Amino acid sequence: MTQMAQDLALLKPEILLLLTGALALVGEMLRRPGAALLVTAVGLLLATGLSLPLLGLDTAVFDGTFRIDALSVWAKLILLPATLLSVLLARAELGGSDREGTVYSLFCFTTFGALVLAASGDTMLLVLGVLLSGLGAFALVAYPRDDAATEAAMKFFVFASVTGAVMIFGLTYWFGATGTTLISDLGRLQQMPYVAPLGLVAVLVGLGYKASLAPFHFWAPDAYQGAPVCVAAYLSVVPKIGALFALAQVVAWLPENTGWRALLAGVAVLTMTLGYLAALVQDNAVRLLAYSSIAQAGYFLLGVVALGASELALPALVVFGAAYAAMNLGAFAIIAETGDTLEAVTGLGRKRVFAGVAMVVFLLSLTGIPPLAGFAGKFLLFGAAIEAHFTWLAVIAVINSVLSLAVYLRLVVPMYKARDSAQAPLGYQRWPTTVWSLAFVATLVIGLAAQLFLVRLSQTV
Amino acid sequence: MFPLVSTTLFLPLLGALIILALRRSSASVVHGIGILTSALTLAGAVWMWLRGVEPGVFSQLEQIDWMPAIGASYRVGVDGISLPLVLLTALLFLLTFIFSANVRERPHAYGVLMLLLESAAIGTFTALDALLFYVFFEVSLVSMYFLIAGWGHEDRQRAALMFFLYTLLGSLPLLLAILGLYLGSDPHSFDMRAWIADPPLSGTAALLALLAMLFTFAVKTPVFPVHTWLPAAHVQAPAAGSVILAGVMLKFGTYGLIRFALQMTPEAFRQAGVAVLVFGVISALYGAFVALAQSDLKRLIAYTSVNHMGYIVVGVAIAALATDAEVRAVALDGSVLQMISHGLVTGALFFLVGMLQARAHTRDMARFGGLLKFVPVLGWCFVLAAFASLGLPGLAHFPAEFQIFLATLRIEPVALVVVLGIAVTAGLYLRAIAQVFLGEPRDEWLAMPDLNLREVLTLAPLLVLIVVLGVAPAWVLEVIHLTTTTLK
Repeated sequence: MTQMAQDLALLKPEILLLLTGALALVGEMLRRPGAALLVTAVGLLLATGLSLPLLGLDTAVFDGTFRIDALSVWAKLILLPATLLSVLLARAELGGSDREGTVYSLFCFTTFGALVLAASGDTMLLVLGVLLSGLGAFALVAYPRDDAATEAAMKFFVFASVTGAVMIFGLTYWFGATGTTLISDLGRLQQMPYVAPLGLVAVLVGLGYKASLAPFHFWAPDAYQGAPVCVAAYLSVVPKIGALFALAQVVAWLPENTGWRALLAGVAVLTMTLGYLAALVQDNAVRLLAYSSIAQAGYFLLGVVALGASELALPALVVFGAAYAAMNLGAFAIIAETGDTLEAVTGLGRKRVFAGVAMVVFLLSLTGIPPLAGFAGKFLLFGAAIEAHFTWLAVIAVINSVLSLAVYLRLVVPMYKARDSAQAPLGYQRWPTTVWSLAFVATLVIGLAAQLFLVRLSQTV
Repeated sequence: MFPLVSTTLFLPLLGALIILALRRSSASVVHGIGILTSALTLAGAVWMWLRGVEPGVFSQLEQIDWMPAIGASYRVGVDGISLPLVLLTALLFLLTFIFSANVRERPHAYGVLMLLLESAAIGTFTALDALLFYVFFEVSLVSMYFLIAGWGHEDRQRAALMFFLYTLLGSLPLLLAILGLYLGSDPHSFDMRAWIADPPLSGTAALLALLAMLFTFAVKTPVFPVHTWLPAAHVQAPAAGSVILAGVMLKFGTYGLIRFALQMTPEAFRQAGVAVLVFGVISALYGAFVALAQSDLKRLIAYTSVNHMGYIVVGVAIAALATDAEVRAVALDGSVLQMISHGLVTGALFFLVGMLQARAHTRDMARFGGLLKFVPVLGWCFVLAAFASLGLPGLAHFPAEFQIFLATLRIEPVALVVVLGIAVTAGLYLRAIAQVFLGEPRDEWLAMPDLNLREVLTLAPLLVLIVVLGVAPAWVLEVIHLTTTTLK
């Protein structure tokens, strides 16, 4: 086999994902949205299956530009199923609208962008990934074609253009300094203490916007609120994890003297604290979850900060990534079913016992209460930070966890109040219920059996 | 061998799942399942007691790999400190289920939460893996939050929120300390036995870990000045919730103080011993004096808890300071026995206040008077429990407090000022008894019914044990002593 063929063979999941997106579009052209849905679901499942054999590999294709390592493979295993759950939510929310099939194909292309990000071995791939995952996302946010969605998409787009331009500008410094765009050659920045931070800040701007890290997070609450709930759920998980894993790919190669650890630790503190403080005063459930997802991005950074200094850092990122995808999608699925005001969940715990239990589990998991998924992730993140001598960061993260409890209880408390008879009844919807049921199982399994992840990660390390 | 500890530990959880599965069943079926499950759990605990413990080691070990990649296992077992606490927990939960058999408000959810709490409580006392301990420790918080928020009194939402936030803030430092101990251990593992046998941290790291643990357990115990969640939570919690909170969950704090702080960072604890001792003394005195100022009967008992738990903190601090193994054993014997006594006595008192409130719909002492005339059984039960609580010889608190004071006298005689607390509690209980049960009988309570069979069944085991433990504490002390004498 030639080198090219070998490389392509390792990219089977990505290729299948692109084909799936294209086929979904064909389904839409034939006015068969049901077929588009089926193709997308099957394609995503198959692509997930094709990613499994890649576990344990640590290599790169196309001259080192596209990495097949623990981060990129786990990104596929987390983001492809997460996309599938978002697609199911979209079926419930946008099913029957015109151009329904395009939504599914846009999900596929956007996820492709996120996977490129998580696999970046080259700074140009970072740019490509940000663009790929951005273009589809704008269209998804603007899909309802009402004022709120258009405004949200516009804000999202302007933010993306500016931050993207800053990132490309900054990356040119790195290129000029090192003479290469390969991330694995970033070690050459060792002797250039001024150029390195310039590029780093630029990358942080570009990826920070995508991951909604403070202070580049302002677009997120508005975009989430204006977009359909299924798109908000999707944006809060897939592109975000892609960007955070991309950040991990970059900093892992940076020399220590660039001060990247301290910089990221500062961003982590800012993101966690601002996110939860703002979430505390929201009275719209989607906005509350949007700010919560901003804060959660700050927790990811604990793992990124500790990369290379703690063996727990990589497992922490992966486990927390999977946990975050499950619990956040689950919470959004419940909101998709009930409606997006805080009052809309009133009485949910009394009228629909299991939906109530599931929502409580998602929210407590987001807080980091054991033995749920979020705890397993945060626990590893704290451990990684302490081992990397960032104990103070872990302490701040802990204080923010208490703050987060106050945030999430704002959703829990009304769930157990009596429901006003004037309010719309709490209906059952097939797809959201399927989604939160799956997310519920995942939240419990990841929490109790984090070993499933850890054992495969220890093989690669 | 039959996995007795795990069976006892997970029986309540099984009961909870059964209740969840039988969602359409009637309230009496749910209460039946609750009583049956907790009775079986108590049987398991009694069997564990009969199996006994070996001196100086953890017995009845059961272990399965959980996350071998990071050295976390499901490890459970007991020693002389935890075994009596398991027995106390199982007993109090059974009595709580008997007492709550009249709950008609959402009985299913109530039963599920109580059983979940029971599993978590027994798990906390039997876990020998720090990660597992933390899991049970936190699950108990969650279930207690929902119990207070769902079945509490007037201002329950605020009290429940405060309880949850406060104790989560309290417990997260423990997580950091556990991570510190984990990273310090070689090979990395969460095995508490290994940490106890060979404390993994030393120097500043040990001191920081100790500080984090002290904060966690001080909030839980609670110790002045981080006790402020307790009165609010107790007053608003349903009677059964108060019993479990005071009888079982406060013990997490003092149990953790011994198991984690004293056993895993002994050197650092020795250095910080005087500071801990001071906080213990202040707590005991503060609790007593503030209780003196209460007019709400439930609040009064809540504050006497601060006082009694303060004695335990004093005992543990003395044990840390003592260089003589014999004195240390006396101090710890007293402290562990005090946990059991406090569970029995305060459990009984909170049950009694709950019974009184269910009849009178008030807890304000000034509104009562001469109740002994109308409800003699309830009254005499209260008098007995109150006398036990103030430390009368021949009742449960006396042998425990006596040993703590004895050890204090040998190590830090100045700290004996804490005995003042006994005088104050004596005064306040006598005043409470005089105000509520003696004096001019008021006609408005003329029709107050005395205890019914369910309530007598709830109280009788506690009152009997209070007397038994006061007169002949040896059978419990023997078990405690097996571990405390071998503590390093």
